[in-house]
Amino acid sequence: MRNSMKVAKWEYKRNMKNKSFIISLFLTPLLFLVFFNLPLLFDNDEAEEAGPQIHIYDELGVWSELKNQLPEEQTENWQEIDAFKSEEEIIQELENEENTAYIMLTEDVLKSGSVHVYMSKDLNENAVFQANILEHPLLAQKLADMGLTSEQAQIAASGITFEPVTPESASQTQASENEGQSQEELLERVVPVAFAGVILFSILITGMMIFQSASQEKKEKVAEIVLSSLTPEELMQGKIYGYFALGITQVAAWMVLILPFLAWRVDIPFLEYLLVPELFLLIFIAIAGYLLFASIFVSIGATVEDMNSTSNFQGMLFMLPFLPAIFIGPIMSDPSGIIAQVGTYFPITTPGVLLVRLAMLEEWPWIEIIIAIAILIVSIWVFMKLAGKIFKTGILMYGKDATPKEIWKWIRQ
Amino acid sequence: METVLTVDRLGKSFKDTRIIRDISFHVKKGEIMAILGPNGAGKTTTIRSIMGIMYPDEGSVEFHNHTSKEIPRHKIGYLPEERGLYKNVKVMDILLYFAELKDYPLKKAKQRALEYLKKFGLEGKDQVSIEELSKGMGQKVQFIASIIHEPELLILDEPFSGLDPVSQEVFKDEIKELAQNGTAILLSSHQMNLVEQLCDRLFLIHRGQKIIYGTIDEVKKEYANFKCTILGSHNREELEGMTQVQRVEQNDNVSTLYLAQNVHIPTWLKQLPDNLEIQELRIDRVSLHEIFVDIATGKNLMEEGGISSDAE
Repeated sequence: MRNSMKVAKWEYKRNMKNKSFIISLFLTPLLFLVFFNLPLLFDNDEAEEAGPQIHIYDELGVWSELKNQLPEEQTENWQEIDAFKSEEEIIQELENEENTAYIMLTEDVLKSGSVHVYMSKDLNENAVFQANILEHPLLAQKLADMGLTSEQAQIAASGITFEPVTPESASQTQASENEGQSQEELLERVVPVAFAGVILFSILITGMMIFQSASQEKKEKVAEIVLSSLTPEELMQGKIYGYFALGITQVAAWMVLILPFLAWRVDIPFLEYLLVPELFLLIFIAIAGYLLFASIFVSIGATVEDMNSTSNFQGMLFMLPFLPAIFIGPIMSDPSGIIAQVGTYFPITTPGVLLVRLAMLEEWPWIEIIIAIAILIVSIWVFMKLAGKIFKTGILMYGKDATPKEIWKWIRQ
Repeated sequence: METVLTVDRLGKSFKDTRIIRDISFHVKKGEIMAILGPNGAGKTTTIRSIMGIMYPDEGSVEFHNHTSKEIPRHKIGYLPEERGLYKNVKVMDILLYFAELKDYPLKKAKQRALEYLKKFGLEGKDQVSIEELSKGMGQKVQFIASIIHEPELLILDEPFSGLDPVSQEVFKDEIKELAQNGTAILLSSHQMNLVEQLCDRLFLIHRGQKIIYGTIDEVKKEYANFKCTILGSHNREELEGMTQVQRVEQNDNVSTLYLAQNVHIPTWLKQLPDNLEIQELRIDRVSLHEIFVDIATGKNLMEEGGISSDAE
């Protein structure tokens, strides 16, 4: 253990002194911020520029009634005009204007059932949809004119929609009657899970550096000198611990850079949602996932001298952490379904699938979680043992990469 | 002198091939012991078995100053045959890392590292990245790494391979000095001349088995028989007919007579035929180098030298 810590310290220090690691440490979150901000900036511009100035002439009194019901943001670019303008007048004016539309609500509109939206040339055709808010009031007005009372007209104008209801969704709607509240609850569940997901992802990426590190040790032939001071198991564990620390450092850098930004930019009480007891379980799952994959990576790394000559077999193992992606679709559609459960109990996918499910499910399936974690712990133990055997032989084999057959032989030794 | 390491009847096989068999020797404090042999003889396998990097199938390795079953890694310095260093780290950093792995006090290690860098002509290179060093400089750093913690036992696998003659001399002197200061040294080599100059005892291994084991003088006395080299044109039969001549080799007008082990040179010289043409005559011992080459190429000079070789 003491020797492992020395190796861990060395690997940590070596990477922290490495310029490219430091750069990526800060560059990744900065890139994230840039890409997160780009659409926001873009959005802002559009909101400022794109809201066309809509001039409305309201003979029917529909707009003035509607205006009182709508929030201010939606009506601020509408402007009522008092004088009626003919089509020619409007078109003439539009020749010289930008970002402007005219709507003339006259008695004729109710008869013909179509409203002309006159737009300046620069406006997109989609701007017509801005006028959609007038549809219901106009319809109601039309019905009222035909002799219905205003209540009857409202009901008739609102139309009919079809909504699917299954036994599950029925109970869900019952459980969360208030829409806004359920969204808050979802966030409450997702924030800690997303945090654990970031940890898992980040230390997995760092974990891939273990692969390189083990392979480098072999390529640069340092392994034998190092192994004259400690056992292969200690070297392997040291690497796993060291890169774990690097991964955590990376997460910390992410948090320090991104969290304040999120807190400033997004209107969600992150910390409140984040610091819940469940977080410990989630982080535990993330760390367990790291240990599992780290043991796989470190052992494959020990069998490969040159990244370029990596065979399909090793390449395939490299893809393992992304296996849960296959399950994402089915899990999203049914978080308690059979595929979700299979994914939960298959050790390679356990961390990823479990995290996604816990984000989706309102009631945590504790028995499943406990079984899954038990499977995960046993798997980590088994994988570490196997990794130790592969690492021990692989790291000292010079000049060629190990074949799957050879690796199988080492495992059985 | 006190024995530091004993290797007893070591054996190891890969699949059905026996790599080494029945290897036994010991290394004493302050002596330089050499394992010699051609490529693939089993030198590295023997050394790796001692270091616990490989597990022998049979036999035992004993470190005398240590009672526990564990290999006393902190007291051993090891320079493997397949050696390298991390590329993108500084010389001093890596030396201190190796010292730390051996639990050697870092302050002392730093001082020793600077001393040795100076001694090996690498003064001022302590903050240089490894990748900027030449291969020879890299080897020197590796050598320093193996002795930085003042080991009791130093194991060097092919320490001279890839070194230029000047660096070879530097290494030789340093190894001698370490031995004088009481370090037990086990080194492997296939350069007989270096071993002859440097070592106290040698263990010659071929195809995984012991061929010769003893001090350099013993080996010379016992195995390196006299040979007589004569310049002049001679009749081969006549030379072969002389007493105590075991074998004759002729090359143009140079004849080499390999003499029996118990030959008495003055007596033998007196009975040279009167009509023998002698432009030059030289009596000397078969060199270790010749013994080595003959073994490696499978010539059975040893048998004629009175040894029953079981190398086959």
